[in-house]
Amino acid sequence: MPPAPPTDPSREPTISRRGALGVLGAGAAAAVILPRRPRSRAGIPAGRTVIDYWEKWTGPEGDAVQRLVDGFNASQGRIWVRRIPVSDIMSKAMVAISGGDPPDVVGLFSYNVPQFAESKAALALDEFGGAGGGEGGRIDPELYIPAVRRLLSHEGRQWAAVSSVYNLALYYNRAQFRKAGMDPDRPPRTISELDAAAERLMVVGDVGQIEHAGFLQNLPAWWPYFWPIMFGGRLYDPVANRAILTDDATVAAYSWVQSYPRRYGAGATSEFGNVYARSFHSPQDPFSSGACSMIVQGPWIANFLRRYSPEFDYGAAPVPVADHLYDPQKPTGMLEADVLVIPRGCRHPEEAFEFVRHTQWQEVQERLCLEHCKSSPLREVSPGFMESHPNRYVRVHDAISKSPAVEILPQTRVWQPYADMLVGAFDAIWRGADVKPALRTVETRAQALMDQAALRRRQREARG
Amino acid sequence: MTVHPAILRARRRDLARGLLWISPWLVGFALFMLAPAVMSLRYSLADYTLLEPPVFIGLANYRELLGDRMFRIAVQNTLLFGAFSVIGTTLLSVLIAVLLEQRLRGAALVRAVVFAPTLVPIVSACVTWGWLFNAKFGLINSALAAVGIDGPDWLGTRAMAMPSLILMSFWVIGTSLMVCSAALKDVPVSLYEAADLDGVPAWRRFWNVTLPMISPAVMFNAMMSLIWSLQVFAPPQIMTRGGPENSTLVYSMYVYSNAFVYGRMGYACALAWVQLLVTLVLAALLLLTGRRFVYYRAA
Amino acid sequence: MRLSSGYLHRGSAARIGALAALLLVVGFLYLVPLLWMGVVSIKPADQAAAPGVGLLPNVESPDHPGERLSYVEPDYWAGAGKQAARNYRDVWDSPVADFPLYFKNSTIIATLSVLGMVVSSAVVAYGFARLKWPGRDGVFVLVLATLMIPPAVLMAPQYVLFKQLGWIGTFRPLWVLAWFGGAFSIFLLRQFFLTIPRELDEAARIDGCSHLGVFLRVILPMAKPALAIVALIQFASSWNDFQGPLLFLNHQDQYTLALGLQSYHQQHGGTPWNLVMAASCLVVFPVLVLYVVARRFFVESDASRGIKE
Repeated sequence: MPPAPPTDPSREPTISRRGALGVLGAGAAAAVILPRRPRSRAGIPAGRTVIDYWEKWTGPEGDAVQRLVDGFNASQGRIWVRRIPVSDIMSKAMVAISGGDPPDVVGLFSYNVPQFAESKAALALDEFGGAGGGEGGRIDPELYIPAVRRLLSHEGRQWAAVSSVYNLALYYNRAQFRKAGMDPDRPPRTISELDAAAERLMVVGDVGQIEHAGFLQNLPAWWPYFWPIMFGGRLYDPVANRAILTDDATVAAYSWVQSYPRRYGAGATSEFGNVYARSFHSPQDPFSSGACSMIVQGPWIANFLRRYSPEFDYGAAPVPVADHLYDPQKPTGMLEADVLVIPRGCRHPEEAFEFVRHTQWQEVQERLCLEHCKSSPLREVSPGFMESHPNRYVRVHDAISKSPAVEILPQTRVWQPYADMLVGAFDAIWRGADVKPALRTVETRAQALMDQAALRRRQREARG
Repeated sequence: MTVHPAILRARRRDLARGLLWISPWLVGFALFMLAPAVMSLRYSLADYTLLEPPVFIGLANYRELLGDRMFRIAVQNTLLFGAFSVIGTTLLSVLIAVLLEQRLRGAALVRAVVFAPTLVPIVSACVTWGWLFNAKFGLINSALAAVGIDGPDWLGTRAMAMPSLILMSFWVIGTSLMVCSAALKDVPVSLYEAADLDGVPAWRRFWNVTLPMISPAVMFNAMMSLIWSLQVFAPPQIMTRGGPENSTLVYSMYVYSNAFVYGRMGYACALAWVQLLVTLVLAALLLLTGRRFVYYRAA
Repeated sequence: MRLSSGYLHRGSAARIGALAALLLVVGFLYLVPLLWMGVVSIKPADQAAAPGVGLLPNVESPDHPGERLSYVEPDYWAGAGKQAARNYRDVWDSPVADFPLYFKNSTIIATLSVLGMVVSSAVVAYGFARLKWPGRDGVFVLVLATLMIPPAVLMAPQYVLFKQLGWIGTFRPLWVLAWFGGAFSIFLLRQFFLTIPRELDEAARIDGCSHLGVFLRVILPMAKPALAIVALIQFASSWNDFQGPLLFLNHQDQYTLALGLQSYHQQHGGTPWNLVMAASCLVVFPVLVLYVVARRFFVESDASRGIKE
């Protein structure tokens, strides 16, 4: 029995491949030769100094930044800012600065400030501007909320301006609260209340799978270093340059985190977290789709909720704290900022500063805050800002930002490796590792990195 | 011993001509590889944050490696990935190449389909696989559920995350397949005819005739796969971020983090040099073991 | 001789059936992820990777909102087609990423690097395959050893070098290196050149050809399949390169398709997966066409032999 006849493609009745190749080549050549005016260059008026501004946002949040840039470009006739969306922005900025070809302004994260400040990769903002706080003047650090000022400065100098700030709050599903017989106007305030509410809302299936989550700390798992703050831990002592992970508060925080997988199963809870890991802020978001009743999130979530689920009935409150720390006047939280930095070696530092200065004006800041759904980083708030804010719960975030109990992330240049190790430790603890030894491993290594960084810095300074 | 001046002249002429022909590579090598490699070797002996001038610190970076737990984890994970990925992709490319050589209808189409993943941008491929592996909404578990199997949490557990990444690496075998197919085409017909006359079963023919004849190609594939798998970066970086519990933290990710995130370029260079040495050793080992199995036709 | 390939052809019908089934399974398994990309690229955002949506998108009836159309209705296909066209148009006209421009940039870079890689690697491979000179084999091992250098070793120093050459922010770092040959291509071509009978060279040389003449008139015409393989692999790697453009390009006008893809990825979720996949398909499509068109040069051609030490 002979098999199917041999398929010999050279005999297949096809259009001539040479012809097809020719068409393809011609198409490519046309694409290259045809003059195309790049969209980004359209409309730069002659005579302007063009400065490059690298920013991380894309999508609607990027559009909002573009409107800010457009506003600046329209407000004066000397400078033209070109926004360039850049992914992996911190790495790219580091390489560009070291290569001597940085942009004029770059949008980093507040936890990058120590690294850039200590290595003088950024220009200190207090070097710029004349006296006084008006047009052409310096940026008055008194403008900012105290915690924001801490985020922007390192060792007494201001290295960055603020692009926007955020802190985390507990967002909860009011409808599900009601359904479970709880008061939707009385969200949990302490850890024990949170535990009780989570337990009531949790639905576990017949083979132990989680059908519905009341609350899980790994959803989202973006801030595995957040919980110690809510228990009074600090992660780092800047005066002694010490990593602090094995103090009672931090151990208590992670032990509490571990109590959830202990109760509901490490496998089931991890799986639930992983299923939704890529769905945040999409139509399948675990919170807006109702899969999870309570979630720790930043203010931007309001932006996504009003876009995808305008009818969604939700509330927000400060994240619950350890019972003994509860004080309604002083909500606790973690404050972080997206910051603007002028890199060392940029071509137009003065013009860059003028743009950065512009972004710090109250009305400019507030417009961006409104579009990003965030609270303002500034002390002064315009009348009507809160009232017209698209995030119904902006006051919750604002109160946390201004609270004396608000914390910021460790200001050390080894924060990145420290945080990465905490990601691994969080995982390990979630899966049942002994809390204190797991934390000690990270603490020891982080301390070694801190000591080393300090030593190298002394060596560098000694060499001048 | 003296060499006749004429021979010496001829040799020198040969050398000059040879170097002339390979000069593009020589220049590129010297300029874009050797010089940067020497620079990176110097960085590996320094504390270099990228943002500040390097400070010479001797072998401190290499000493630090010894006590670095993440380094150990990264090495283990990479070797695990490498071992299975090399074996799997090499075997698969042989088997699929042989299958495609059977005169079956549609083989040309399947060949195109198997090759196509090589052309997909790695970022898109990783995003796609990330979704396929999703424990609840993913296509894989949906398909398993349809036949009554409760699929695992592929990327989410220590036990499954690395196997999932290895599985994904089996999807991108276009280049090795091409190499294997080319070698198969080149097996002399006379050998098969001889084997046919003896009435040897098909699998023995494969084992005794085909495999030895294409063994150099298989060796080449194994070598390339080894080199590439030890440098794997994008899939774990995009799909698992090295988790859960660092179980997919691979070497290149750790190098990249140190170099471009932590600002520890000196340490990263030391890591990379260790990687180069380990790769060389493993490649040499592979060649040595391969020597026993690879059959080279007499020229 | 094509016959050589079908060495199992004397099998029974059952065996052929089994092999055909196996072929089908293999093809299907490799197709699924590609299919998934294509399918998601035509769905609306709220159905991309959502539970309860089949392989094909759901389409609501235009007359009765909220009502799903069945696949047999012509309105379904009109609606699905409209959605697909909208996704692709969104990507093509996107304000965040200028894809037509990136298309042009990628084409320029890929063309230049393919040309460079083919020309330079062929010349160098000739030097290893056809010329005898002292130290040749040692240098060849060195060429192969360069494959093992982890890219991370070179990244930072190369950046500094390109900076000094004034190449940062230009396309040059992305294609100039290809003109100096690549180890993989050189190896592939050398192996192929070795299989070309030397008698052909000798004949040409007797006719008075120099090495250059032999290279141009004998070796290159014979080696078309191998050159096509090198060209394709180089094209794919240049077209899909992400790290290089990320590191060396500083202006959005210079972005390549692979880098432009990144414009859709968001910091914290919210990524429009349907558009990401539509953009991915746009990136893959030209390469796929190139492959299908050029396929006969390398895969089916029985002249494509090569790797045998």
